[in-house]
Amino acid sequence: MEYARIRVIGGGGPDKPLFDAALRDIVARPTGGLIVVGDSVIKLVDDAGRVERQWSTEHPGYCAAVDAKGTIWVGEPGQIETFNPKGERQATWRDPDRFGLVTAIGFAGEFVLIADAQDRCIRRFDASHKWLNDIGNDNNTKGFAIPNGYLDFNVDDKGIIHAISSGKHRIERYSLEGKMVGRFGHFGQRKPADFPGCCNPTNMTLSREGLTIVTEKAGPRMKVFDKSDKLLGFVGSDAFDENCKNMPVAVDARGQIYVGDTVKRVIVVFAPQPSESGKTTETKPTTTQGAGTP
Amino acid sequence: MSEQPTRRDVLGYAVRGTGVVALGGAAAFLATRAAAEGAWTIDPTKCINIRLGLTGVDACALCASECVVPLSAIRAVNDYAKCGRCCICPAYYDVTSEVGSDGLPMRKLCPRDAIERTAIGEVDPDDPLNNFYEYIIDEDKCNGCGDCVMACKEPAGLGSIKLEVRNDLCLDCNRCAIAQACPDDAILREVKETT
Repeated sequence: MEYARIRVIGGGGPDKPLFDAALRDIVARPTGGLIVVGDSVIKLVDDAGRVERQWSTEHPGYCAAVDAKGTIWVGEPGQIETFNPKGERQATWRDPDRFGLVTAIGFAGEFVLIADAQDRCIRRFDASHKWLNDIGNDNNTKGFAIPNGYLDFNVDDKGIIHAISSGKHRIERYSLEGKMVGRFGHFGQRKPADFPGCCNPTNMTLSREGLTIVTEKAGPRMKVFDKSDKLLGFVGSDAFDENCKNMPVAVDARGQIYVGDTVKRVIVVFAPQPSESGKTTETKPTTTQGAGTP
Repeated sequence: MSEQPTRRDVLGYAVRGTGVVALGGAAAFLATRAAAEGAWTIDPTKCINIRLGLTGVDACALCASECVVPLSAIRAVNDYAKCGRCCICPAYYDVTSEVGSDGLPMRKLCPRDAIERTAIGEVDPDDPLNNFYEYIIDEDKCNGCGDCVMACKEPAGLGSIKLEVRNDLCLDCNRCAIAQACPDDAILREVKETT
């Protein structure tokens, strides 16, 4: 599969960053458009790449998720804030003992799953926010190995958790009860499917079709794996600033992939291109200026 | 009855006294100069092995080759507070080398084998990646070549390994040979504030 870079979403001008200091997460909204997390601000970006709404969070946001009711959950150090789509705060869920640094949020039926990068595990809560169990810390490393300091995961439609253990160079799969039910990926520098360096991949998302999309650092790349964990396509380092790390990634219902360039603080958009060659190509990007809502 | 000092004794006292005064004066002068000028140090924002934003290039080894001290007065130092205890540390392994059957690179990076890798806790025999590891730099072997520093630098690593001038080894030359050779003027004399 080929993935072509079709545009870059910036803010307020050509190649201008969306945030002043940090771009940390991107979420494809079920209704279209993106939720983008950076600094202490949430930005809603429409399909044309314009910032249609933005609001501040109490603490710097590290991740976001949208539940079945459309509520936007934002993970922060020590707490989670929830907002309606208008940006009005609904609640703040504080749990300093279990929310060291919330870097990913997911939902599986009635359960809420929270990644705590500080304690290197995923915590499962019921709908009333009662803690049920931790996932990923019953091993020699007492948690996910994440030297990059960011724990990312997704939940598939069967309730299986797919989580990155970057220091082990793989994606691990767990049941909601915390049993490892599978894993894939291995260290290497020579083949495109290898995960190189000290700790890769760093971020991930799952598509509706069951594709696993990951990003890596040093050098920054985006890779797409099919349902059988076979490499389907990749985009090389030329598409991003070479010093990017922990690049957030999201995929929408059309299969377009959104990768955050964490140095330039813009979003690079890729679209799958039908191809028989199996090679990855890139097209010259165009820059979409964000509306820059004040 | 005490003996009177001879002319030779008096001259000897005078010469020794003068020598002591001269040595004391020289020591005081050097101490004053050292206090005023400080010590040689590395500016991490200039050293290409350390500074961020420069990746994919070979490490500069001038600290190892130019110092007048045989093994160089510069050493790589691992900041354990920042170290990720990675299973596959790019400063320890040559990550571009072949991968062995255990899933680990087959070659080490350090040309002097100056880094020791020790498992923390029990090793999982079925899953060698399921462990953290401690990395200790042997200062009797390290010559400050900077290979590990460049490899550990962000974003590839966590930047926990830095180069430092070991002041107990540095001869504090007036014209540091490394400073003369450094293309980035990264070797500086740290000036101490005097009151």
